[in-house]
Amino acid sequence: MSSEISAPSEAEGPLIYHLRDVVKTREAEGVAFRLRIPSLQIAMGEKIALIGKSGCGKSTLLDMLAFILQPSEAGAFSFQPEREQESHDIHACWKNGRLNQLGDLRKRYIGYVMQTGGLLPYLTVRENMNLCRSVLGLRPDGMVEHLAEELGITAHLDKLPDKLSTGERQRVAIGRAVAHRPSIVIADEPTASIDPYAAEKVMSMLIGLAEEFEITVILASHAWEHMEQLGLRRLTHRTIRDHNRMFTETVVTG
Amino acid sequence: MDVSWFKVFRLASRDYFHEALMSACFVLALAAVLGPMMVLFGLKFGIVGAMVDELIENPRNREVRPVGRGYYDQAWLDQVRARDDVAFLVPRTRSIAATIELNSEFSARIVSVELTATGQGDPLLQPDSPLPEDTTSVVLSQSAAEKLGVAAGDTVDGSLARRFRGKQERVHLPLRVAAIAPARAFSRDGAFVSLALLEALEDFRDGRAVPALGWEGEPADTHRTYPGFRLYAQTIYDVAALRDAFTELNVNVRTRSAEIELVQRMNRNLTAIYWSIAIVGLVGFSLSFGASLWANVDRKRKDLSVLRLVGFRTADIVWFPMVQALFTAILGWALAVAIFQTTSLFINEMLGPQLESGQKVCRLLPWHYAIALLLTCIAAVLAAGFAGFRSARVEPSDSLRDL
Repeated sequence: MSSEISAPSEAEGPLIYHLRDVVKTREAEGVAFRLRIPSLQIAMGEKIALIGKSGCGKSTLLDMLAFILQPSEAGAFSFQPEREQESHDIHACWKNGRLNQLGDLRKRYIGYVMQTGGLLPYLTVRENMNLCRSVLGLRPDGMVEHLAEELGITAHLDKLPDKLSTGERQRVAIGRAVAHRPSIVIADEPTASIDPYAAEKVMSMLIGLAEEFEITVILASHAWEHMEQLGLRRLTHRTIRDHNRMFTETVVTG
Repeated sequence: MDVSWFKVFRLASRDYFHEALMSACFVLALAAVLGPMMVLFGLKFGIVGAMVDELIENPRNREVRPVGRGYYDQAWLDQVRARDDVAFLVPRTRSIAATIELNSEFSARIVSVELTATGQGDPLLQPDSPLPEDTTSVVLSQSAAEKLGVAAGDTVDGSLARRFRGKQERVHLPLRVAAIAPARAFSRDGAFVSLALLEALEDFRDGRAVPALGWEGEPADTHRTYPGFRLYAQTIYDVAALRDAFTELNVNVRTRSAEIELVQRMNRNLTAIYWSIAIVGLVGFSLSFGASLWANVDRKRKDLSVLRLVGFRTADIVWFPMVQALFTAILGWALAVAIFQTTSLFINEMLGPQLESGQKVCRLLPWHYAIALLLTCIAAVLAAGFAGFRSARVEPSDSLRDL
């Protein structure tokens, strides 16, 4: 089950992401940083964990997978959110400036949970959770209320986010990411800002909801233990730091 | 699957009113610059407007008066009257003969009044007031009417005397008061009469016969000349040209062209001063308004990124700050209008007593308000659109991690 490098088996269905030779280079304060992904394949319904210290490029990878960061180079970068559909060539969209197409894919198929916040301060919890649904023009079908119950925030539905604790806000953010039944939820250290006990609970909730609604999950975290218990596949990566040349490279495969 | 404009509008307004305090600050900042500018323009418009109105409305400014005694006959006067820039012309008779003594049953006084010939279109009289007819009626000056205690419709007795063939003679004629002239038309005791009556009085004094009134004397002169005339130009701007035309004809005239030029020069100078202040103000206003909108968009970058993350397109995102800027523009303008109204009320109240009734020192026309609103909205849309476009172009991942 914990096969780290082998490609997913046929039984797990078609690949939602297929990346080959994707590179992102950045330079900040004189330090060059490179993220290299020789090969990455994620099957539909998989639950993936990206474990590592901060600064190793986790967020960079997640942002590329969420189409909010353009890769510097890519041999192949395709996305197939539904079984019956053709896959989308994400790299071509970037190259040709079709940002609206990326926005539409993101809107329909991706739920994103940020490390902190990301809730709109002027909307109530209910409206925040309903945001993606409302953008898609989905009619209310009790989904938001159902999620609120599962996440234990029913009492807060009509409050503004600033009345909630950090942990509660993260639960709202998870609810929003799931409410429109995306194909995939991407979460960047969703529990980093809350205490460890609450963090485990929130993480379990996220995985539970993903299983309930058959959503693929990719999340970044710095703690592996609990992820393993939840049955996540871990992506391997190794980081090479060259202090003399002020250069860091992270290579991710999986 | 486009996100409807309405959703953006709704979200933007929710945000705007959620941050009521911040929004109020933006509105105040806008009104604090726009309000005084409106007052400044209102003052310029009111003061210069009042001066120009006074110039145009007071017919004396359009008058061209011949100086000294002349010999103008009817044909020459008709020729002058035919000019396009002449609004009204009536001959004068010798002023020594142009008086009559009036008496009424309502007053014991006998009032000697100066007579002025009038006619259709006389700018000194109200346009709709009845004119004196032939030799039977007069339009009295206000001071004469008061002394005689008469009103329009009453009849007064006119009388005049002459020495003829060694005898003192006095004739009387009943005159109906057709109307009372406005106070500014003639400030002394006077009456506006038809040219026919004036000529009759002059003939009588000269010892000639006036058959129409049954007055006897020498036969009338066949070729009458007038010593002067009363002429008004069509507008104040025609005065200078008329003066030049008369000078060419060797007729010495007196006009108010110097005063007209003074006001026109003042108007030009005030306008220049106003515009230099207004341009400085406008630049300052645009900068402060633009800067505050820009800062606001920058402040909201994370929220805007969240909107992009849930699938709003770049074009939709740009609308977000624009809607909010328009709110600020409209509310700020409304507050500036309120500031202007209050201030102008105060200024007009303070200076009101020194003005003719109906005049205002500080005022704006409805379309001035509209222009102010339009300019503010354009500035708002440009600044917010530019700032919004810039922030929408930034890769969302960059602004998401800021906080």
